[in-house]
Amino acid sequence: MVLLPHTYQSAEYAPRLAVRLGASYIASVSSATLDPCGGLHFSRAILQARLRAEVRPKRRLVVATVQIGAFGGHEPVESPERVFEVGRPADVERHREREILGREAAGAGGVDLPGAERIVTAGRGVGGPDEVSVAADLASALDAELGASRPVVDNGWLPREHQVGSSGHIVAPNLYVALGVSGSIQHLMGMSGSRVIVAVNRDPEAPIFSVAHYGIVADLHDVAPALTRLLEARRSG
Amino acid sequence: MRIGVCIKQVPDTDSHLRIADSGREIDDSDLNWVISSCDLCALEEALLLAEAQVSRGEERPELVVFSLGPARVEEALRKALALGADRAVHLADEALQGGDALADGRALAAALAGANCDLVLTGAQSDDLGQAATPAVIAEILGLPYAWLVMAVELDAPRQSARVVRELEGGMNEVLRLDLPAVLAIQAGINKPRFASLRGTLQARGKPLHREDCSGVDAGLVGAAGAGTETESVTLPPAGAGGVVIEGVSAEAAAEELLAHLEREAAL
Repeated sequence: MVLLPHTYQSAEYAPRLAVRLGASYIASVSSATLDPCGGLHFSRAILQARLRAEVRPKRRLVVATVQIGAFGGHEPVESPERVFEVGRPADVERHREREILGREAAGAGGVDLPGAERIVTAGRGVGGPDEVSVAADLASALDAELGASRPVVDNGWLPREHQVGSSGHIVAPNLYVALGVSGSIQHLMGMSGSRVIVAVNRDPEAPIFSVAHYGIVADLHDVAPALTRLLEARRSG
Repeated sequence: MRIGVCIKQVPDTDSHLRIADSGREIDDSDLNWVISSCDLCALEEALLLAEAQVSRGEERPELVVFSLGPARVEEALRKALALGADRAVHLADEALQGGDALADGRALAAALAGANCDLVLTGAQSDDLGQAATPAVIAEILGLPYAWLVMAVELDAPRQSARVVRELEGGMNEVLRLDLPAVLAIQAGINKPRFASLRGTLQARGKPLHREDCSGVDAGLVGAAGAGTETESVTLPPAGAGGVVIEGVSAEAAAEELLAHLEREAAL
């Protein structure tokens, strides 16, 4: 078995490695079990984390990538049994067909999500660019930074620097309030380490509820303004 | 120039998902089927590249769309034709069905090789299985350079290479140059997929859609026989983290109750 982390670097080449080795390929697994006959079974999220699938490799060799954060960190063993040092094999030509020209920042700054004590995140459920204010108002009443899920950024409702998730910012604030966020696996990876997680969503089956400490099954357009009003009344009172 | 676009038809993730009696797949009797969202962005990117070449006074590239799946997939291919693709190839043969990313990638690679594409675009990952593997498998089998999570594509004037921006973690992008032909897996959200016009829908009826059986490929490498994995069961995710659920009360009552909890948690 070859295990790799499911990062944007390794998950790009891992399937090619599986083809070259004639191995089975299973991506972004969150757990693995070994049955008494020595067979491996992997669990992974499918259909945008709405369901889970148990998958078995059919080939003797398997290449799998592991979802970041799927396993708690273990204390390092004192000395690994064997560590191989591998140099670049002499027969590997430097590839010219794919050349890295450089790196650049994906968006402008001005939003400090990783350093925030509290974050209120707008999800697709806010409904549109003019309705993001419902999340912004609650953020301001909570003295929180404003976050966004990927669909909100992709639709242009908020700039990319607000994005929480594996392709945006990984955050772990004291309080995380998700408004109308369904909770894709990438989003959950980016915020599930928060100390207190609140989710407001009309859909009781939304995956965000699987990580929420407090879940409100209701329309965020009713609940968020009510929260904002209460917080503002307290502040002025 | 010819651009191939691979699309996958997937269950609409907003539709209610039920697990089939077998416990190994979802019940597909009552599902809405749509083109996977990243694949729509890949098709849109191909259309934008074609339009950019026309506006530079160059010949419009031919856009060929490919999809593997049962008869229902024809609807997705017709939609792609309505959006502006020139012709469609349906990998409909029974022997090609039931595969995983390795098997599907092998069948698609064979069909793409037959079409002699200069550039292959796909979505970065499907909305259903989301392994992000099929485009990489296609690139490996065709021996082509590959980039995943592509955020921008520019073709150079002689169309020998592409300048590609790809997404990394933590708000960074990587800028690459890839020789053509190449396989590019397009990230969601890099463009706004257009809607099909009535005119496009009518024109699509007259555009060629042909079935490809991949007869040149070893039958043991495609379909269920060529799959490297087997799905043993599909289940609902484990219920919540034991969290407190507030429902069935007014918004004001829910807000009051939540704030009381948050004060106790010292989260305010």
